[in-house]
Amino acid sequence: MTDLLKELVSEDGCYVHRRVFADEQLYQLEKRHIFSRNWLYIAHESQLREPGDFVSTYMGETPVIVARGDDDAVHVSINSCTHRGVPVCRADQGKAKRFVCPYHAWMFSVDGRLLGVPQETKVCSKVDKASLGLKKVPRVDSYNGLIFACLDPDVKPLSDFLGDMRWYLDCFFDRFENGVEVIGAPHKWSIKANWKLPVENQLGDVGHAPFLHGSLMQGTEAVDIIKEHGHNVVPRPGHGVAVRLLPKGTPPETVMWGSDGIAVIDPEVASYLREEHIKVEARLGPVRARLSPLCYSIYPNFSFLWANLTIRQAHPKGPGEMEYWSWFVVDKGAPDSIKEKLRSNYTFFFGPGGVLEQEDAEAWSQQYLGSTIDYADDRTYYYGLGIDDPKNHPELPGDVGSCYDEHYAREFYLRWQRELIAGEDQ
Amino acid sequence: MTETRTIDRNLIADIEQFYYREARLLDDRKFQQWQGLLAEDIRYRVPCRHSPLLDPKKRDSEAFLNVEQELSQGLEAPYRDEDYLMLSIRVMRSFKQNSWSDNPLTRTRRFVSNVEVLPGAQADLYKVFNNVMISYSRHQQDNHLFTVQRRDLLRIVEGDFRIAGREVIIDWNVVTGPSLGIFF
Repeated sequence: MTDLLKELVSEDGCYVHRRVFADEQLYQLEKRHIFSRNWLYIAHESQLREPGDFVSTYMGETPVIVARGDDDAVHVSINSCTHRGVPVCRADQGKAKRFVCPYHAWMFSVDGRLLGVPQETKVCSKVDKASLGLKKVPRVDSYNGLIFACLDPDVKPLSDFLGDMRWYLDCFFDRFENGVEVIGAPHKWSIKANWKLPVENQLGDVGHAPFLHGSLMQGTEAVDIIKEHGHNVVPRPGHGVAVRLLPKGTPPETVMWGSDGIAVIDPEVASYLREEHIKVEARLGPVRARLSPLCYSIYPNFSFLWANLTIRQAHPKGPGEMEYWSWFVVDKGAPDSIKEKLRSNYTFFFGPGGVLEQEDAEAWSQQYLGSTIDYADDRTYYYGLGIDDPKNHPELPGDVGSCYDEHYAREFYLRWQRELIAGEDQ
Repeated sequence: MTETRTIDRNLIADIEQFYYREARLLDDRKFQQWQGLLAEDIRYRVPCRHSPLLDPKKRDSEAFLNVEQELSQGLEAPYRDEDYLMLSIRVMRSFKQNSWSDNPLTRTRRFVSNVEVLPGAQADLYKVFNNVMISYSRHQQDNHLFTVQRRDLLRIVEGDFRIAGREVIIDWNVVTGPSLGIFF
């Protein structure tokens, strides 16, 4: 298997085989060696304000309940009864005192402890409840409100996993005095595509915007600004961000937002953005006060679109299918009227109803179909743009390339390959 | 019953005819003509529909199963929340060669039914519930079926109707169609 895996991505990351996106066997390896061993985003702290608050989500294909327990800690439990395997939580999110399995009414605390077995009263030997709680996910940690968990108890700390990505995450998730909040249930969208494709797109693929989204973006100022001031950054292999670093003296609302939001035509929004931006330099320093990020991805399957205020996650459902979940995220301290206006900059452009993302989903589905052409698997995908370009920058941490440098994808697929090989070698 | 008394059958027939015309314009991709049916102060919403935890205090009453508790409320993000300008951008975009989610062309067929007309807040306004089933076909055999309830506000303007509000209730938790960006 290792020899096969070595062929899939060329040593420099420039060539990636089509079956990386379509092969069932590789998908099984991904579940075992990637989704079971990496930190995965699971929830935002604003969704779990009080004990009993919970959300249902997936870690890879493993269904989990993420809940704030009575001890105020966040607990992550496998959503499957320890008696007969039926899910004990059947809601997307909410507040609960306990979860009761519908089959035989075994009862669990929100943090997964087995509290009661109704049938127990009529049998002689009592059930050892302490050993029959929901299976717990061993590692949970958070960074600036973003909660991650890992199925592997021996995983390195979250801070190592994120590395310089933190400098870029702070730019939004530590930008506001009152923090940020995720509002509402996830938008869930089943797309017939491999889960890596949206992640790759949002690691830093700004090169597709004027073309795939040409009906709206061709010839716009937004594209020119990206060309002039854009950079693709790899803060740590596997993660990626695309940012604009604007010159000193750029108007605050332009830095804060970018020119891609229709909400910016609203004077109330413009004034909010200006006032918020003035505080940024004191909080985050002069460089990040000029930074206008576009998109982020955190390995393996979490993304954030800065200008459109949406976090998203590609839940894998087999090599050719994923559920793409997305949420609205906003400055918690913003007035409600501003939140509502900023929200449309998410929903109009992205998510299942988004005018841009309907085109992305189309591209990902079609790329998946292209990836299933066995006969063309020797005609690998080319990820070599910018391979020989310098990667250092005087002001930005991480490896920094031009806005069309595809090093974000090379590093992602090389890491993907390393993890599969390491997993198989064990 | 008191509310329906003010609605006469001719009005219901007129509204049904309006919906059939609207469906034909959309299925025939005459989106610019369809835009002419919209009031310029239109609010067009598609709430998100999630699976909530049911409230045991409400059990045995109809509130227990109330659809509203599934729909995004307040600041929670709906799938879509659009005004006339945003809908105009969608219409404009449809006629570009590089609207890649609609090229090759999508084939749709809309069936409108269950038209229930209620008086609106003003004399020239009607609240109309109706159901729409949309057969949506992409590429060679990428076929989907959307079923939705529309909660419309229709305004009488110069003897014809204009859509002043539309809320589209979708019947999915996970969206399995290629996009919710279509005109419902």
